[in-house]
Amino acid sequence: MKRFLSSITVLLSLALAVPTAHSASTIKIGLMAPITGAFASEGKDMRAMVELLAEELNKKGGINGTPVEIVVEDDGSEPRTAANAANRLVSKGVNLVIGTYGSAVTEASQDIYDEAGAVQIATGSTSVRLTTKKLPNFFRTCPRDDEQGRVAVATLNSLGFKKIAVLHDNSAYAKGLAQEAKAEIEKDKGLSLVFFDALQPGERDYTAILTKLKGVNPDVIFFTGYYPEAGMLLRQMHESKWKVPLVGGDGANNIDLVKIAGVEAAAGYRFISPPMPGDLNTPIAKNFLEAYIAKHGAPPSSIWSVVAGDAFNVLAEAIKNVGTKPADVSAFLHTKLKDYDGLTGKISFDAKGDRVGDLYRLYEVDNQGRFVLK
Amino acid sequence: MSSITSNRLFLPVSGAIFFLCMALLPPVLGSAGLEGGGRYHIGVLNDIGLYALLGLSLNIILGQAGLFNMGHGAFYAMGAYTTAILNTVYGVPILYTLPLAGAIAAFFAYLVTRPILKLRGDYLLVVTIGIVEIVRISLMNDVFGMTGGANGIAGIARPELFGFRLVSPEHFFYLIWGFVAFTVLLFRMLENSRFGRALYYIKHDELAASGSGINTTHYKLVAFVVGAFWAGMAGTLYATKMKFISPVAFSFSESVLLFAIVILGGAGSIPGVILGAFLLIGLPELFRELADARMLVFGLAMMVMMIVRPQGILPLRRRVYNAAKQVGKYACAIGTQKLAPPAPEPATDTTTPPAPQKGTGGAA
Amino acid sequence: MEEFLQQLTNGLAVGGIYALIALGYTMVYGVLRLINFAHGDLFTLGAYLGFTLLASFGLSGVIGGLAGAGLLVLMALIFVGLVGVMLERAAYRPLRNSDRLSAVVSALGASIFLQNAMMLLYGARPQVYPVRLLPTASFMLMGVEIPFTRVLLFSSSLALMFLLFWFINRTRVGAAIRAVAIDQGAAKLVGIDVNRIISLVFLIGPALGGAAGVMVGLYYGQITHDMGLNYGLKAFIAAILGGIGNIPGAMLGGLLLGVIEALGTAYFAVGWKDAFAFLVLILILIVRPTGLLGERVADKI
Repeated sequence: MKRFLSSITVLLSLALAVPTAHSASTIKIGLMAPITGAFASEGKDMRAMVELLAEELNKKGGINGTPVEIVVEDDGSEPRTAANAANRLVSKGVNLVIGTYGSAVTEASQDIYDEAGAVQIATGSTSVRLTTKKLPNFFRTCPRDDEQGRVAVATLNSLGFKKIAVLHDNSAYAKGLAQEAKAEIEKDKGLSLVFFDALQPGERDYTAILTKLKGVNPDVIFFTGYYPEAGMLLRQMHESKWKVPLVGGDGANNIDLVKIAGVEAAAGYRFISPPMPGDLNTPIAKNFLEAYIAKHGAPPSSIWSVVAGDAFNVLAEAIKNVGTKPADVSAFLHTKLKDYDGLTGKISFDAKGDRVGDLYRLYEVDNQGRFVLK
Repeated sequence: MSSITSNRLFLPVSGAIFFLCMALLPPVLGSAGLEGGGRYHIGVLNDIGLYALLGLSLNIILGQAGLFNMGHGAFYAMGAYTTAILNTVYGVPILYTLPLAGAIAAFFAYLVTRPILKLRGDYLLVVTIGIVEIVRISLMNDVFGMTGGANGIAGIARPELFGFRLVSPEHFFYLIWGFVAFTVLLFRMLENSRFGRALYYIKHDELAASGSGINTTHYKLVAFVVGAFWAGMAGTLYATKMKFISPVAFSFSESVLLFAIVILGGAGSIPGVILGAFLLIGLPELFRELADARMLVFGLAMMVMMIVRPQGILPLRRRVYNAAKQVGKYACAIGTQKLAPPAPEPATDTTTPPAPQKGTGGAA
Repeated sequence: MEEFLQQLTNGLAVGGIYALIALGYTMVYGVLRLINFAHGDLFTLGAYLGFTLLASFGLSGVIGGLAGAGLLVLMALIFVGLVGVMLERAAYRPLRNSDRLSAVVSALGASIFLQNAMMLLYGARPQVYPVRLLPTASFMLMGVEIPFTRVLLFSSSLALMFLLFWFINRTRVGAAIRAVAIDQGAAKLVGIDVNRIISLVFLIGPALGGAAGVMVGLYYGQITHDMGLNYGLKAFIAAILGGIGNIPGAMLGGLLLGVIEALGTAYFAVGWKDAFAFLVLILILIVRPTGLLGERVADKI
């Protein structure tokens, strides 16, 4: 017991000692990201991305001569921990925050930042409702589910698919996107929705669902969930020699998908996503991608960390122009920031804080397992 | 030490001191020079209070009656969703929904636990897991078109007390911890009531309990209903504190956490459960500086604490009756209990109940 | 009909894996009355061990085909079994004479620890077995295509179950295990080294879990640090369904759960699949309170 108590004391003093080590002469930018929990892989990528951007910026002398410091807090991929993370950032005096990934997780933190007058730029949270609350300081660098649903259905239509099966995974993001797609399909008389249901994420065997899907004989399956499940679906479709095209949303944009499915099974898989930095011809994206590969040995595995990088970039741009006061930053982002050259393309925000502009591209996996822009 | 702790005034006095200290915490934290006026720390304390409340409500079922319930989150979710729906759809003020949330959760508990009360130990455990999962999946699938599916329900109002709107973490601190204090007082009375004693006998020897005239099924059902009522009200507090709820917040692991709070703190012991909430909610926050290894260390700490204190950290102390006075009144109920001699100071460290033998379990 | 049969084989394939994990669960439970919540994470450990052997130690170049797969399973059996023994020493033995639920909480702590340890060691991104050792051939039976791997997986589960059943019921050591399960005190009196028997149980139970982990890795490819949560819970349910502590019961419960899930997917909404499985479980337990093959002594636990 004594030993246990002393180890607790050590940890306690550790916990209390570290925050005081920050110096006051830096610009603090918060990053709330899932470092543990179900979305940990995305969160760790987000951290790697934002910290590298900050490092590069500081090498060039920071913003107007002041270095930037990234304060990372773990949201644990769940709402309650996110609320604590938000309180913690606000308590530390951080009032410019990037994050976070999951929509339900972001939503739990919105009010806390709003009440503290802090600017929050969400990165992966595409749920429509987040920007319908008229929060003055909330932005996101990712597009919305309804926009993606519209683009997705238009794309499916133009590819000649008529009987569409929509499969989601019951997460806020995937179901939101699925419902937007469903509404779009029902609007169009030429299209029919032959299947609408959810799989259980995190499982290994989806053959039962595939057998059921086979029964409705769709032209295409639109899967709105994440890449681990998309990969398993492709793999098991390939194994059962069922050749119906699978089209994914931007949650399934991750290079690990090809690894999971196998190159052969992934070939021909299409998905809709904001462009990866490698596909942008802007010098800023090219240079940054080189730096990222040099440091981490591989390009970022998904688009979401890149979108987090963009959140950092627009914050830095705003601070450079109007200083660090949240109200000024927010006003700048709403009105002054026009067609900023981000990693994922031009960035501007509308009055609600949503990113404006046509962001989605169609990608296809070629027979060597590469993501090819269509 | 033992002569102090065995004094019958020890618990009430230390409890009062604890809650007084808690009441003084927000201003102290506010002026302690913590960054942000202790906002984060108060937020964490609010979480701890909420889980203490949930732990106390589970304690009646798991700690006192010895019924293995690993699905307590189901009742918590019922309460939270009742409040959310009543408030956002029908505009019912939050504090009015508090008893309603409790009542709905209790009614739900009554319906679902009645057929399963005959199940023993681990079979009951897995059925309660089933219940919490069915509830979560139903919420996820937008059952009756009212729960908002995976998106949950947003825009839940803040509570108003006599025209005063509770908004800041400090306000919620007093609301939540005030409720905890009230609960402790009430549950302490319940523990010593006929009901509490009946649960005690059921936990330690069900056969003997029913032999001495206790309607065990009835009391087990009441334990579930009371526990669910309180969990439902905790759900109200959670919903109004977060202003937003979704099924993610009521996952199976939340129920597991509650289970661990009760067992780790000391099953059946009110101070133990509160300490359990401090440890299991507080430690992951304390370990934040460890970044990626946060939960690793937490898991390790859970094991170590359990091994160091196998009975729980503050286990329930066996009550000792002054049998000479009570025997006439409750002769029937005490039948299975060893009659303590009317000696004034029987309590030493052996006051903790002897561990039930493995293989017999809590519900032997 | 064809679709029904197809779904049945889908369910049996998933159920075979549940059954294999449930065997380890039930083995430990049968002797110690301990719900080892870390069992699912030992299963994950087995999967990652197989991955490490294949990917990092270049075993994929040396061994191929079924022999290689068998070797991997064997190595996972041994290694995860040893980890299980260590886990019992560290986390459960100090609690053996305490309340049963204390050991359950310690097991929960161990589960969190193991899961996060694997995340820190291997990263949070999913890992994929680099080569496919299992054959891809398949055959037709009554209009249903059955991949050879499924037959293999299913028959290994069945074989391991029979082996375990034989070991427990027909050997001297098995008799000692049964004696310890019934009464540790009496077992001690007749000269059985109870500690060694319990260590043995913790060698066998987790070893079976580890073997299941490698099989999942070989069959499905993708492994993640948190997959033990889902598989562990399903296996626990399977063990309860069959009557926990009962070896054929674990097998039956696993297969049944797999089939219920597949049929729930086929004939109800996919999103309600797990709720449907739980509902069936609850109904079965209401009718048979100690599971399908559990002893019908109401006061056993």
